[in-house]
Amino acid sequence: MIGNDVVDISQSRLESNWQRSGFTQKIFTDDEQRCITNTNDPETLIWLLWSMKEAAYKIYNRQTGIRKYIPKKLECTILFKGNTYCIGQVICFDNLYYTKTVITNDSLHTIAVTKLSDFSNVVETDKKLILKNEFGLPYIFDGSKNKHQEVSVSNHGRFEKTVALRMI
Amino acid sequence: MNKQELIAKLKIIVKPYTTNFEAYDNLTEKTDFINDLNINSANLVDIILDIEEAFGVVIDNADMERMLDVKTSVEIIETKLAAK
Repeated sequence: MIGNDVVDISQSRLESNWQRSGFTQKIFTDDEQRCITNTNDPETLIWLLWSMKEAAYKIYNRQTGIRKYIPKKLECTILFKGNTYCIGQVICFDNLYYTKTVITNDSLHTIAVTKLSDFSNVVETDKKLILKNEFGLPYIFDGSKNKHQEVSVSNHGRFEKTVALRMI
Repeated sequence: MNKQELIAKLKIIVKPYTTNFEAYDNLTEKTDFINDLNINSANLVDIILDIEEAFGVVIDNADMERMLDVKTSVEIIETKLAAK
């Protein structure tokens, strides 16, 4: 399964004040807050962790049908962080999700999957083809294979990303 | 504070985060913050912090999980106010 989340950094500066009192405490676990306190670039780390949580939550929501505002229950671990990308994992109750985030100067885009091998099957797709099921979850229909394929859509500010797993 | 006054106060709080103004003008108890008002999920935490300040209450994690719509938020605020 797949979930994604894009953050437009300029837009986040207009919409959010992550420095306000209580903001990080309500969203991030104690471990995550410790990382935010100890980094020299808290803004990037905050939105990196946030997009990991959002991308993983989209899978969790699709798997369980549960809709809740549970940022602290999506526990992030960063396994590798370079200047342009980050690999991590998110645990939500008994579920484990793997994440890959592409980092640019003005955006972050995280893709979450349930199987590590799925990272090699991720494709960006055309938003025009998207349909919604009875739960409002997006999918595309491939007539040639007569198959439904789940997709994940994220938009924020200037950016929009629609991703799917290639049908094999 | 009665329920209508409470909803009116909540409506003022959510306004700066709202991007669907038609849904905002027609706000009812059934209104969903994300699906109807098109509020960015990162701003839900701002709404919760604003509610804490405006009503002088503390919203814990268990309550925060359910605060996705007007009805649930009003119920939670009412419970917190009654416990003061």
